[in-house]
Amino acid sequence: MDSFLQGLAMVFNVQTMLVIVAAAVFGLFVGAIPGLTATMAVALLVPITFYMDATPAIAAIVATSAMAIFAGDIPGTYLNIPGTPASAAYVGESYRLAQKGRARETLGTNLVCSVIGGLFGTLVLVFVSPSLAEMALNFSSFEYFWLALLGLSSSIFIAIGSRVKAFLSLTVGLLLSTVGLDMMSGAPRFTFGVPDLMAGINFIPVMIGMFALNEIMMFYGSRAEARSVPVMAKDSVFAGAPKHVKTYWRNVLRGSSLGTLIGALPGAGADIAAWIAYALGKSRSKEKEKYGTGHIEGIVDASSANNSGISGAWVPALVFGIPGDTITAIVIGVLYMKGMNPGPTIFMNGGGQVYALFTVFFVANLIMLPIGYLAIRASKVFILTPRKLLMPVILSFCIVGAFAINNSITDIWIMLIIGMVAFVLARNDFPMAPAILGLVLGGTLENSFMSSMLKSNGDLLAFFERPISAALGALVILIWLLPSLIRLVRRLRSSPPSSHKPRSS
Amino acid sequence: MRDFLLGLAFVIGGGVVIAVAQTYPTMPTLQFGPSLFPSLIGGGMVIGGLVLALTRVGQLRIAFAGPRAQTPRYDYRGLLISLLPCALIVFYILASEWLGAPLCMAVSMLILMLLRGARPWLSLIVSLVVATAIYLLFSRYLLIPLPEGTLLSQILP
Repeated sequence: MDSFLQGLAMVFNVQTMLVIVAAAVFGLFVGAIPGLTATMAVALLVPITFYMDATPAIAAIVATSAMAIFAGDIPGTYLNIPGTPASAAYVGESYRLAQKGRARETLGTNLVCSVIGGLFGTLVLVFVSPSLAEMALNFSSFEYFWLALLGLSSSIFIAIGSRVKAFLSLTVGLLLSTVGLDMMSGAPRFTFGVPDLMAGINFIPVMIGMFALNEIMMFYGSRAEARSVPVMAKDSVFAGAPKHVKTYWRNVLRGSSLGTLIGALPGAGADIAAWIAYALGKSRSKEKEKYGTGHIEGIVDASSANNSGISGAWVPALVFGIPGDTITAIVIGVLYMKGMNPGPTIFMNGGGQVYALFTVFFVANLIMLPIGYLAIRASKVFILTPRKLLMPVILSFCIVGAFAINNSITDIWIMLIIGMVAFVLARNDFPMAPAILGLVLGGTLENSFMSSMLKSNGDLLAFFERPISAALGALVILIWLLPSLIRLVRRLRSSPPSSHKPRSS
Repeated sequence: MRDFLLGLAFVIGGGVVIAVAQTYPTMPTLQFGPSLFPSLIGGGMVIGGLVLALTRVGQLRIAFAGPRAQTPRYDYRGLLISLLPCALIVFYILASEWLGAPLCMAVSMLILMLLRGARPWLSLIVSLVVATAIYLLFSRYLLIPLPEGTLLSQILP
């Protein structure tokens, strides 16, 4: 009890609370700029945390990452350009809702779902972290292979429009993921002698090219000032959120639990959690046909999942010192620096510090409500600013954002080329989401496949020998066969048996 | 028509990927190596491209058989204008080392704003203020080494 009170005192003091507010505002700013990610926001914070005590330092990181993930929804809703990769899964739904004059309602629902997801992930972090981390630790390359294939398969089946085009879009993303040095042999692939390509293609410039540059090119190609988001007087931030959360409470719960679970898997972060939650939400929805037209249900699942994924990623980081995502990879370094060595002993020796950490999560997620509310109110600037002034500014941010990843001009070239390819593909109704997912998961797919083949001496049956691997494999095959099975069942149902047909005279 | 051509482009692209992948070394311990995944992806592009092209053959026949007047004119001017942001990115890449990032950004923004009919004085003020703000924010606060440029290196703060 003393440790608990000590932990509360570490958080509820003027210094830590001010740090949380300032970090949330910083996260809001970084997250709302396309190309700047939550990881980048946290990385930029690290030098500042050198001068802080352990609790405010961790509080700053938690508040920044949570707020940045939510803030990514703001440009996504108003401009169809996701601020962070975690918002890319449902950017189409948000933007179409905004076009119907429901931007604030959408962002309000996003905010409430993000807070619920974040709090859910925190509860899991507090109560079930040891057992969940143990399960994630049992995952080997065989399970990761199936998990990656599951995500890629989902991207084709959730895509709107032609599945052939979705598949071709996926191959573009997968091809980009093969650029760089091969993990097993060290042979350079598709690098064309450019040293900057040896480490592979970073997906931030690709994302900026596909979503932002493509959108800018569309705007200049269309000649019209149209496609702006209308402002409705009755559009309120929180008016619709309680109703949506009540209607789709199952989605919130499912998205939050899925996000926490995926976040806890090393290597899979908030962005993958959002994609899979969106796909699962669509497959389980009673109104599948509304997806892609601006349907709030599509947002509820994924926006709960990406914020719960942030908390979930802390589970293996704290319990085993294994980062759940890129943010926790940075966090582990900060924890060591502050003398909080991550691992099972942190719960024994941490004392009030561990309780302070848990409290920080609750406070950082709850503080998102007032700050997020003010941000949504202020985000009207995206509507009021004419696009002829806004689009050139976004282009400048795109150039600087792409450059900022590695301080390399090559990343600007990558953004440019990908943007042009995406422009051609998008004009011909190719979905962009599978390409992004292909790039994100391509490396995991190939590396886990190669590692598994080395372990099993080339025996493909090894992918079905472990129970979790076999179950995931069966699920992937089921997803592939599902459309054909549904078609077959429909055909059987629609054609009545010939023996029952009345004879016409 | 465009889908047919894109399908063919994917077939050719996939073929090139497979051909390039065959030049990668194989690993002595396994019967496959760094060429496996690119070859599979290339194969996928060829098959997907073929399916896309073949499913559009029927539409292509109709398009060629029908009266030419019904075919909508392609907006080549719009396409050219949509490429202007790309040209300005190339301008930034090539000129920023000499002109500096703020000036390149300001020029790019000014051109794009004027192109869409924004008032010249407003465009000039917005592009100068925004370019300076972005430069100061990224290079001074976020410590990202944006090119200062040799032209204005003594003037910038």
